[in-house]
Amino acid sequence: MIQSIKNIYYNIVKYKFLLQQLVMRDFKVKYKRSVLGILWSVLYPLLMMMVMAIVFSNMFKFSMEGVNYLVYLMTGLVVFNYFSEATNNAMGAIIGNSTLINKVYIPKYIFPVAKCIFVGINFVLSLLPLLLIIIFSGNAAEGTKCYINIYYLLLPFIYLCMFMFVVGVGYILATVAVFLRDMIYIWGIMITILNYFTPIFYSITILPESLQTIFKLNPLYIYINATREIILNSTPPSPLYLLICFLSGFGMLVIGAFIFKKKQNKFIYYL
Amino acid sequence: MIRINNVGMRFNLGIEKDNSLKMVFIRLFDKRKRIKKSEFWALKNVTFNVEKGDVVGLIGSNGAGKSTLLKVVSGVMKPTEGSVEVDGVISPMIELGAGFDGDLTARENIYLNGAILGYSKEFLDSKFDEIVEFSELKEFLDVPVKNFSSGMVAKLAFSISTIVDPEILIVDEILSVGDIKFQEKSKNKMLSMIKGGTTVLYVSHSLESIKELCNKVVWLEHGKVIMMGDTKEVCEAYYDKQLKNN
Repeated sequence: MIQSIKNIYYNIVKYKFLLQQLVMRDFKVKYKRSVLGILWSVLYPLLMMMVMAIVFSNMFKFSMEGVNYLVYLMTGLVVFNYFSEATNNAMGAIIGNSTLINKVYIPKYIFPVAKCIFVGINFVLSLLPLLLIIIFSGNAAEGTKCYINIYYLLLPFIYLCMFMFVVGVGYILATVAVFLRDMIYIWGIMITILNYFTPIFYSITILPESLQTIFKLNPLYIYINATREIILNSTPPSPLYLLICFLSGFGMLVIGAFIFKKKQNKFIYYL
Repeated sequence: MIRINNVGMRFNLGIEKDNSLKMVFIRLFDKRKRIKKSEFWALKNVTFNVEKGDVVGLIGSNGAGKSTLLKVVSGVMKPTEGSVEVDGVISPMIELGAGFDGDLTARENIYLNGAILGYSKEFLDSKFDEIVEFSELKEFLDVPVKNFSSGMVAKLAFSISTIVDPEILIVDEILSVGDIKFQEKSKNKMLSMIKGGTTVLYVSHSLESIKELCNKVVWLEHGKVIMMGDTKEVCEAYYDKQLKNN
C-alpha cells in the first residue's frame, strides 16, 4: 500500500507537465465557446449559491439561532459541490480517455487526479464569493457576524484532506465505471441521497440522538463541520478532530489507489 | 534492446465488452455462462529479440496480431503470458493524433501531445518552431484541430513524435499519410533516424517500404511467428504465400 502511494507520487512528479497540460485542456475545452470564459468559474457558484440561499432562507424559512444561516449554507455547499463534481469527473476520466489509453502508454493514475485538480481549481475560485458573503455577513448585535480569524490558516489543511478523500473516491469510481458503465447512473442517485444525508442546509441537532452519531461519521460532514467551526464560531477544531480529517482523507486515498492499482492492467480489455 | 519471450495475449471475445448490469449479474450467479466465453489468442508463443540499431519489419495479413504486438512492446497492454523486456526510451507512433483534442488549436495540441509523449515544457518551447516548420502548418496554428483534414492531422502528429531521436521508435503504418511531398519528407526523416542508430519496429502492408527500410522481418499469422530473418527471404516467402491463396 505504501508502495502504491509512493508510485503515484513518483508518477505525479515525473508527469507534472502532462498533468498540467491535462488540467489546462479541461479548462480550455470547458470555456472555449463561452463569452464570459473563465469568469464563469466564479459566477456560476455565486449564482447557484444565491438561488439556494433564496430558496432555503426565504421560501423554506430555514434559519438558526445565533448563526449566520447564509454562511452556514455556503460552507456546506462548496464542499459538497466539489465532492459531487470532482467524483463525477474522475469517474469518467478513464472511460473518457480510452482512445489515448489504448494507443500510448501513460500511467493511468494521472487521469482521475487531473480531473480532481481541475474541479479543485474551480472550487478554490468558488471560495471567493463565499469570502465576500463572510465579509458582508450579518450584524454583530444578533451574533450572526462572521469574523476572519487566524484559524483560517487551518482551512488549506482541511481542504487538502478533503482533496485526498475525493481523489480516493474518484479512483474507486473510475475503476468500477470501467467494468460497469451503469455506475455513472448509480452514482448520480447516490450523490442525491448523500446530499440529503449530509447536514448542509439543516443542523445536525434536529436529528434524533442515535442518528447523529451515524451522521457524524460521514467524512464530508467532518470536513464541513471543521470549516464551520472556524468560519462561524472563530474557534479551531480540536487536534483530534483535525487528525480524524487527515486520517479519513488519507485512508480513502490509500484504499482508492490500492483498488485502482490492482485493476488497472485489466482496463484495456474493457475500454 | 527488446526481448520478447514467449509472449501470449488472450482476449475474451464478446463478454469483455458487454458490461451491462444484467450481464454482470448473470456472470455473478450463473457459473455455466462463465465457462462458455470464447477465448481468442491474438498472440501465442511469440519469441524474438531486437538488437540495438535493428530495423525490424512486421508483416502479416489483417488481424495477424501485428498491432497487438506493438501495443505489448510499448506497454499499453500487459501480455497474458511471457514477458517483454525493453531497454531504452520508446516513442510510439501507433496511431497518429490519438492524443489530440479536437477542440484545441494546433498550437495547444503540440504542447498537449508533447506532454503525452513525455517531453518537458522547456524541450517543447525550444523545438516548437522546428515542429511547426516540419509540419508545414504555420498558417493553421490557431485553428482547432477538428477542422483539419486527416492528412493535416497526420502531418502535425508525425512532426511532434519525431522531434526527438528516440532510442526505440514504434511505427504502425503511417508513412502512407499526407501528400507525396510529405511522404518523401517523412521517409527521409525515418531514414536519418535509422542512420542515427534508432531501433525501429515497423508495421506495414507495403512490402516495398519494408524492403527499403528494414534489415530484419518477422512474419506473423494468426498470432504466431511463421518466419523471421533476412528481409528478402521472408518478404519473398510471404509474397508467394499471398499469391497462392488468391
